[in-house]
Amino acid sequence: MGKGRWWLGILRCGALLATVPLLSACVSEQSMLHPAGEDAAAVANLFWVMAAGTVVIWLIVMGITVYAVLGKERPKTERFADRFILIGGVAFPSITLAALLIFGLALLPDWVRTEGADLRVHVTAEQYWWRIAYELPDGSVVQSANELHLPVGQTAEFVLNSTDVIHSFWIPNLGGKIDVIPGRTNLWRLKPTEPGVFRGVCAEFCGPSHALMAFPVVVHEPADFAAFLEGEATPVDAPPNHDLFIASGCGACHAVRGTSAGGAVGPDLTHFASRRTMAAGTLPITAENLASWLLDPKHIKPDVRMPGYDSLPDAERAALVSYLLDLQ
Amino acid sequence: MSEQDHVTKEVRRETGSGTDLWSVIISPTIWALHFLACYVAAAIYCEKLGRDAPLGDIRTLVIVVTVLALGGIFWSSIRLWRVHDRSLTDDDFEYEHNTPEERHRFLSHVALMLCVLSAVAVIYVTIPMLYLETCR
Repeated sequence: MGKGRWWLGILRCGALLATVPLLSACVSEQSMLHPAGEDAAAVANLFWVMAAGTVVIWLIVMGITVYAVLGKERPKTERFADRFILIGGVAFPSITLAALLIFGLALLPDWVRTEGADLRVHVTAEQYWWRIAYELPDGSVVQSANELHLPVGQTAEFVLNSTDVIHSFWIPNLGGKIDVIPGRTNLWRLKPTEPGVFRGVCAEFCGPSHALMAFPVVVHEPADFAAFLEGEATPVDAPPNHDLFIASGCGACHAVRGTSAGGAVGPDLTHFASRRTMAAGTLPITAENLASWLLDPKHIKPDVRMPGYDSLPDAERAALVSYLLDLQ
Repeated sequence: MSEQDHVTKEVRRETGSGTDLWSVIISPTIWALHFLACYVAAAIYCEKLGRDAPLGDIRTLVIVVTVLALGGIFWSSIRLWRVHDRSLTDDDFEYEHNTPEERHRFLSHVALMLCVLSAVAVIYVTIPMLYLETCR
């Protein structure tokens, strides 16, 4: 950059900065900056306040730096230098950090629980999927997996457990994250404030398929949620090819409520085809993806515990795919 | 002012009447004791009463300990200020000469800055306690 072209640099910086809002518009289903829950709104607010404060401090420091390098040489008294360091280097950081500490601490959840949650959901993290069980008012649970449905405007309490390693439960649009630790039950509360479809993730590295351990989160109006829960609780009639499903051993690991398949090792498949994704947020549910998954799950999801069924004849695999697609 | 005058002027204070190393470490020691008192007391309290126990008693204790700690640091600062007697930073402070007076001033200068650091640290340790409700 030649002399006199300094404004070009500023222009370039400006052009770069102008693209920042575009970036934030890319994906909003997994973004803390698009809050759709009470906690997320508080965290987003904290972020914007701190970001704005950071920009102001950065501008002040840069301004002083530029002044020190380019400003006219005017000797300052030693007293001025002392005061400057005392105020700028001791008092200002101490007070600013204390203010940030207080501002941040005010976000600490109020753990004194007086009121009960509107809904309790048991979430068990396993390599690499989420076992989800909705607790009904009578204490019984509705098993599901890899897709979370919540009613808007109601507080959901999550009872979090892990069966293997440490995972972390995070739905960025709804709130902060919490680790899911084997041998320990963690409680977490979220209150969605806007309906929509979001993306929850595992936020603690848990193995080769850590990044493929996600789940869609659907926030409904309360009436729609009640309808969903009723549907999810309803067992299904065994679709065609159920005998093949059992004969191939699928039922040993997977449950299809209402049929003889009652395995509890892998995800509950009762209403599998009505979900938005397969393999825990990894792929959309299509016949092609299912066929590929049954052939070799590890190819799609490394280290997954489900074995491949490449030993089955193609026709039987296709029949299993259609069976799964019938599990509405 | 000749070198001789300067030294003569600065040697007025006796070695035993200024700052010693104890004065330098007293405020960080208060900080450490305050930290230990707060955390150890809260740890024992929460272990005995469980995760849902309210922190009311411990909060009172922490505030009392904090007031004592800040009082101690303040007392130490006043003592040091009298020795230093000029400013918090180096301003017109000299330490090029090997005289007892300047050693006292240097030590009290360092100690005074440690007092400020300790006071800030004590306050930072206390702030979260004002916001925590239970042992969780």
